[in-house]
Amino acid sequence: MNRPSQHPLALFAARTIAVLCLSAGIAFMPATMHAASRTLDASASAPRPVEEATATAVERDYLHGWKSLTAALETNQAGLLNENFTGTARQHWQQAVDLQQQSGLSRRIIDHGHSLRVTFYSLDGSALQAEDVADLEIEYREGTKVLSSEHIHPHYLVLLTPAENSWKIRILEELPTS
Amino acid sequence: MLAATPVVCGAQISVAGPVQAGAPATLQAPGSGSATLYLFGPGVASKRSVQRGTVTIPSDELTIAGRYTVILEGSAASFFVTAAPLNRISFIAHPSRVPAAASGAVLGSAFLFDRFQNLVTAPTPVNFRLGVESAQAEERATSSKNGVAWVQLNAGRRGGPAQFTATSGSVSVRRVVQQVAADPCSIRMTASRAPDGNILVETAPIQDCSGNAVPDGTIVTFASVDKAGRSTVDARIKRGFARAELPPSSSATISVAAGVVLGNEIHWGGGQ
Repeated sequence: MNRPSQHPLALFAARTIAVLCLSAGIAFMPATMHAASRTLDASASAPRPVEEATATAVERDYLHGWKSLTAALETNQAGLLNENFTGTARQHWQQAVDLQQQSGLSRRIIDHGHSLRVTFYSLDGSALQAEDVADLEIEYREGTKVLSSEHIHPHYLVLLTPAENSWKIRILEELPTS
Repeated sequence: MLAATPVVCGAQISVAGPVQAGAPATLQAPGSGSATLYLFGPGVASKRSVQRGTVTIPSDELTIAGRYTVILEGSAASFFVTAAPLNRISFIAHPSRVPAAASGAVLGSAFLFDRFQNLVTAPTPVNFRLGVESAQAEERATSSKNGVAWVQLNAGRRGGPAQFTATSGSVSVRRVVQQVAADPCSIRMTASRAPDGNILVETAPIQDCSGNAVPDGTIVTFASVDKAGRSTVDARIKRGFARAELPPSSSATISVAAGVVLGNEIHWGGGQ
């Protein structure tokens, strides 16, 4: 079979571009991009059912909140929490980030996904509560040294409230697993 | 995948749990000598030098409910901090004004917190009460789930500021829902000749079906139809009544309405 001949320089250029693209892709891929399964189950919502558009927005904003949280805990930039967190959740996690920074500590979280189930949606639409079973790998670090790591399936209780154009995480409380 | 967990050389550490928010935790670190203890949790991250044996983690580092991880020279243990007893109720009442006797129109959501702003997730009885002073109140007893209790109540029949309370144990929080008159139940008017020849129309006191006076300022429309055409006058209720003057006519049909409620009709002139 005849194959069109390729100039060695063209081949080299193509390979170089491919490698550069791949490198750039890896460099810009945040750690949380590993998140795979994403589900929001609103069938048990009470007293108000969750409209489809609301469910989509809640899922999008909650998962974005987790990206912000993992980035904030890894890079010790508390400001990353401002977009998706509010109230006590923002206050608590900002405090954690600030204390990490003061002690030279950090947490790297690989987020493998969330299973979110809405349990309460207020009739006036001002608050939505959900239970989330997450799949996380957490690496505790001091500087670049890994102190410990664990793979857990934490059970979170989440309260979200609507802001101007998004839902914000107001409470993110992990519950003991029974 | 993350890097492998460092090899644990010493004996495993352990923490008795769960711990109530705001209480200290006790950690057992077998062995002797000093070591560096790391603590990670929601709202905390710290490192300190400790003596092996029984190590106490101070209460001010354990105020936020959730998972805490302690690491001591490669050995790690996790424990949970749970909410302290109920200290505060965050109560959202909706709406702030509601028509009297409206069915299922008053909504309340109560969020139960401890003194550290943790949700109290244990099922907790919550009583809701809605009522205007000196009138029978509507009450509902519920139990919280995941720190939230909610209720949907009928508005009372009497107008006025209704006290809407959510109570759990010794903690109570109050909101005021203004119960206002609903739409008029019926409108009765009379007509007479004014000194200047116009037709003076005046309603009887306008009330809703529960007997509450429809608020002053509510628009009432009087209309007169005769062979010259149709004339309408909008008048506001003032001290419970609405009054207006219509153009003089020898024979007219006069009607009155407020919102969707139509009142009586009067045939003016022609024997009336």
